Amino acid sequence: MTTDQPIISVRAVRKTYKLGRVRVPVLHGVDLDLAPRECVAILGASGSGKSTLLHLCGGLDRPDKPGANTPPPSITYRGRELTTMRGPALDRYRTRDVGFVFQFYHLLPELTVLENVTIGAMPGHGRLSWLKHKPGAIERAKALLDAFGLGHRLRHRSAELSGGERQRVAIARALVTEPPVLLADEPTGNLDRETGGTILDTIEGLRDSMGLSILLVTHDESVADRADRVVRLIDGRVVGGAGVDPPVAGGGAARREPAGVPSGKGPHP
Amino acid sequence: MYQALLTRRYLTSKVMPLLSMAAVLLSVATVLITWSVMGGFLEVLLGSGRKLIGDVAITWPNVGFKHADDLVDSLEDHPGIARAAPVVATFGLIQLPAAQVREVFIKGIEPESFGAVTDLPASLWWRPIEEPTRRDTARLDPRLPENTAPDFMAWTLNNGLSMTRPDDRTGEPTPAAILGITVSGMNRRTEGGGYEPLAVIRPEASGDVAFEDVFMPRNGEIAITVLALDSGGRPIDSVTRSFPVANEFQSGIYDADSKTVLVPLEGLQKMLRMDEARRLVQRESFDPLDPASSAGELVTDPERVTTVLVRGAPGTDARAVQAIARDVYAEFAGAHPGEVPDALSVNIQTWEDLNATLIGAVKKETGLVLFVFGIVCFTTVFLVLSIFWSMVSEKTKDIGILRSLGASTAGIAWLWLRYGFALGVVGTACGLVSGYLIVTNINAIHEWLGTTFGLVIWDARVYYFTDIPRVVEPWRAVVVGIAGVMTCVVGAAIPALRAARMDPVKALRFE
Repeated sequence: MTTDQPIISVRAVRKTYKLGRVRVPVLHGVDLDLAPRECVAILGASGSGKSTLLHLCGGLDRPDKPGANTPPPSITYRGRELTTMRGPALDRYRTRDVGFVFQFYHLLPELTVLENVTIGAMPGHGRLSWLKHKPGAIERAKALLDAFGLGHRLRHRSAELSGGERQRVAIARALVTEPPVLLADEPTGNLDRETGGTILDTIEGLRDSMGLSILLVTHDESVADRADRVVRLIDGRVVGGAGVDPPVAGGGAARREPAGVPSGKGPHP
Repeated sequence: MYQALLTRRYLTSKVMPLLSMAAVLLSVATVLITWSVMGGFLEVLLGSGRKLIGDVAITWPNVGFKHADDLVDSLEDHPGIARAAPVVATFGLIQLPAAQVREVFIKGIEPESFGAVTDLPASLWWRPIEEPTRRDTARLDPRLPENTAPDFMAWTLNNGLSMTRPDDRTGEPTPAAILGITVSGMNRRTEGGGYEPLAVIRPEASGDVAFEDVFMPRNGEIAITVLALDSGGRPIDSVTRSFPVANEFQSGIYDADSKTVLVPLEGLQKMLRMDEARRLVQRESFDPLDPASSAGELVTDPERVTTVLVRGAPGTDARAVQAIARDVYAEFAGAHPGEVPDALSVNIQTWEDLNATLIGAVKKETGLVLFVFGIVCFTTVFLVLSIFWSMVSEKTKDIGILRSLGASTAGIAWLWLRYGFALGVVGTACGLVSGYLIVTNINAIHEWLGTTFGLVIWDARVYYFTDIPRVVEPWRAVVVGIAGVMTCVVGAAIPALRAARMDPVKALRFE
């Protein structure tokens, strides 16, 4: 086992949704660890609660409060408890510490490719603060898009891109603030096998070059097989171990930068 | 900062916000046009109300008061007063050329002083046309037959200013009357708002109809009958006298134009026995057996007037003139104890007080129209609200994306509020510009509507103003502008709150 402390640690997390008057339990006390520079795939069928788990890890949702006979839930990021974090702190966490990638890309159709990426760095900045950080953010966005082979499509709208290109723009947006964690929800689910493979190559490359920790949600065994570790989620329960395993070879113990991507963890744009 | 970027993009890439903007534009333009036209209407009306009064009227009705010359002199000595004019006002009957008899309000005036205090000279209707009309390219007055002498209108204007008309036989100027433009009923209102003289039609015993060529300022004559009162207000006798007509006036106030006759002051004073008179005061010590004693002493009663009209010096408003008039009258009453009404009894009113009923009615009407339009325009709030509600629904996924990128709930609310504000600013600015352009060109637009579609919204035969009055005041535009922007912000507030409270997970899953 690695001695690295998990960058994200999930303990005893339960989540129940209300559908009208019906309470639908989705997660039943899930435990999960994600080590630095590790890629973990959460594998499960549709409705198994994998996306819910990803949203909880990303601070978009909160777990159920503990019952009389259940332990208190805990989701920590580098030791900081997310479940008790207040709104502004959670907003900062989503901006700086994690990046989301979704199955349907979720690009903003009114914006150009460059704006879609840059907007990832805008939340949390006022007018003056943004003026200061804007050049760095644009430079970073351009570098990422260049690295993803989209440097010539900066002024295009998302409707003018293919599915694979859109997903690469979404990944660039998730990484424009250089977060240490990438949360990917079925990133290849809407792509053909070949394009999906390219996207996975890109994600793997980022893990290797930037030392990213990646939590990847998928229902596809072949996608999950490319992760360092697979956590199976069946009906809201983790089947098998969910602790930190050693990163696979090439997992990026030493951080490397991809060509064209500005180096280091400088001040967040 | 994403709010500025998205506001810009949403504004330029969506049709729905353009609908909101159009609604705001129309509302703002409508309110501005309504307010400007109604405000202009009120302003013209107020100006008309002042035309025959000046700033302030000092009145002791019917009986009148003596020593008006002293009061006029004292008033004119005050630096806050420009001029003062004595007037006798009474009710009476007028007999017109077509043998009609009507009750009228008769004012005896001195043309020079009355003209200086009021706007009578400018209100005289029969005068040379200063600006040639379209039909008047050869500077021929369309109001007169072709064979009328070119200088006829100048002659008529001079008659009006001097309140005389040369006698037909001797050519000597004789005192003449000025009638309100619709008093005689012999002027027909045209579509353009002007007046043209009518021929007098007289049915004859034979069954034929005779046309009589009477044009009031040329050969018209009226007879007025008044009831003379003594200084105690007791009726003495009714007196009738004929006056040739010198001219006619149009003030813009219906009551004045349809029921007022102006005659020379001296003539009316004589008719009412308000002119200077001598009377015998019996002596108590009279001894009929003593040839040296006389029965009494002849004393002179000064002439009386019922009103003194006052015009303030330039820059002095009516209320200030009223205060000055009160002070001056108090001194005047003190100087003539027992001979003139005391300062507390006499009426000293501004032109606004005298027209309070009319002005109040128009002000209330303006307020009511604005209120109704305001209510109508308030529906814009709901229009914006429904459009924004729909847009927030449409952009649910965007809200989820932004939240996943770290946007705060307040940031999301501000995005939509800012968007509403931007729509409001753009819509309001366009509305103000459109409203201003329409208001300033409203008469040209009205004329175009009339010639192209036959639409006549402002019928000059009904109103007293030939043009649609309008006043665009900057403060009104500012008020309307702020209201327009607020309409959008208020309309956007509830959708913004909804967007801010949206569950980001549900938003991301929104289909």
